[in-house]
Amino acid sequence: MSIQTLLMELVLMPLVAFVVGLFMVLMLRRIGAKLQRRVGPPVMQPLYDIVKLYGKKTQISHGWMHDIGIVMAVGGYVAAETLLPVPGMDGIADKGGLVTLVYVMMIPSLGLALGVGQCANPNGSIGIARALTAMLAYDVPFVIVVFGVAWYFGTTNLVDIIAIQQAGGVAGWGATAMPLLAIAGLFALQGMLGKQPFEIYIAPAEIATGPMVEMSGKYLGGLFVMQCFQLYTAGVLYVSLFLGGGENWLFFLLKVFAVVAIPMTVAFLFPRYKTEQMIRLMWKWPVMIGLLGLAFVMH
Amino acid sequence: MKEIDIPIEASVDRNRTNPLARVFDELVRFCRSRSMFMLHYCTGCGAIELPPAMTSRFDMERLGIQPMVTPRQADILLITGYVSIKTLKRVILTYEQMGSPKYVIGICSCTVNGGMYWQSYATAKQLDQYLPVDLYIAGCMPRPEAVLEGMRKLMDRIRSGEADGWKDYYRRYDWYLGNQQHLFGDDWQTPADVIGEASHYDLAGPGTEGEHTRLLQQCQKPLEPQQTFFQIGGSLEVKGESHE
Repeated sequence: MSIQTLLMELVLMPLVAFVVGLFMVLMLRRIGAKLQRRVGPPVMQPLYDIVKLYGKKTQISHGWMHDIGIVMAVGGYVAAETLLPVPGMDGIADKGGLVTLVYVMMIPSLGLALGVGQCANPNGSIGIARALTAMLAYDVPFVIVVFGVAWYFGTTNLVDIIAIQQAGGVAGWGATAMPLLAIAGLFALQGMLGKQPFEIYIAPAEIATGPMVEMSGKYLGGLFVMQCFQLYTAGVLYVSLFLGGGENWLFFLLKVFAVVAIPMTVAFLFPRYKTEQMIRLMWKWPVMIGLLGLAFVMH
Repeated sequence: MKEIDIPIEASVDRNRTNPLARVFDELVRFCRSRSMFMLHYCTGCGAIELPPAMTSRFDMERLGIQPMVTPRQADILLITGYVSIKTLKRVILTYEQMGSPKYVIGICSCTVNGGMYWQSYATAKQLDQYLPVDLYIAGCMPRPEAVLEGMRKLMDRIRSGEADGWKDYYRRYDWYLGNQQHLFGDDWQTPADVIGEASHYDLAGPGTEGEHTRLLQQCQKPLEPQQTFFQIGGSLEVKGESHE
């Protein structure tokens, strides 16, 4: 691969992720609207929101770390996008691998924790404490799932994992070979996206959107951009691990949107759990299912 | 309370060198009008009409209007009903924390002229003497249709650039502050430094500073760090300090 194509891919991959993420946010809001028998927002609404937030006249900064925290939160996901292979573009995926990706995906939460800490808002602090606790909860099943998949395919290279699955057709997909791990992965996905019933750290009615409480203008805009990336990253990772990645863009996007639609639809049917309930649930059922699946895989 | 007429300055257009500046302005104004985050300060009975306006029957979200939970994130401050003097202090604190451009909507006749609380000693009669109100939706109470109609009107005004009450608050801060001091007493102060913001964003006018802001500066007490107390096992301990 020449240096030009690599550079182009490194720029294109986050851009594509952002655009697809915008449509995912739209889908999230449309699904919510349809379940509540409303019309829902227009097609360009996520973009309007972001442009509006960046176009605010007053930008209220709470200091250095507040600025850097947002950059870390968005930057962590931008880095993650370059490690996720999409049809036609591998970026640095075959150099990074699954372990790096899992590591990079934790950076946004930590960046947010730094930034929110400086806002000195109690709701924000509670929110970020809950977000990190939630990370602790969903990361255990998530790591089990990632380990199981890597064991089954014998590699942590995402490009190879996708190639092996595509060679076997639907029968070769991770979800067919490891259904238990796929189910555990869905649990982890729900927690990772912070959707109900695991929406403990946003909780608008309880702690006033937690980490976002002091964010205004471009800071909130940055978090909206981060949300686009977050939905995309989680969806594409699941598709790469269990649904054979993408042969072409059409099937790839269909799979990714279908995967992301699952947590959205579940979310609007559930209330919110308490923090300790979430940990208990996450460390019990998905971990049990995951370990069982791991036993089958390693047997 | 005496009415003072201060001429409103026309905004000074700085020389924009970028040929695309007007296109960007147009785009940002359009997006502002199509994406309005709403903070509803539901003080009175007008709040009853908001749930139907937001939920499946009238669905505000198709206009891009979405409820938000903190003043920092919001664009519109929706005041639905009478404002008692104690409430008005909170409303002003909330308003000053919002990021500009920000818009205030007064719903119900109570915000227009006191409504049925006209004879009350404890309510502020006209909201626009204390805050720059961009839009009133009159009625007791206005139906959701009227609320949506008002919202559309505000959208049109934002797109054409007419809704600039937030600039007025910076330019005529002295007048607004004078009315606030009249109600709350001379030692009234808020944590937001409105004069500093006005000069920072180049929005200070001849009415920004005056006798009332001088009074504010005389009576102003420096903000002290707030001490946080945690009750642990019966004894009260000072655990930490948070500053703002």
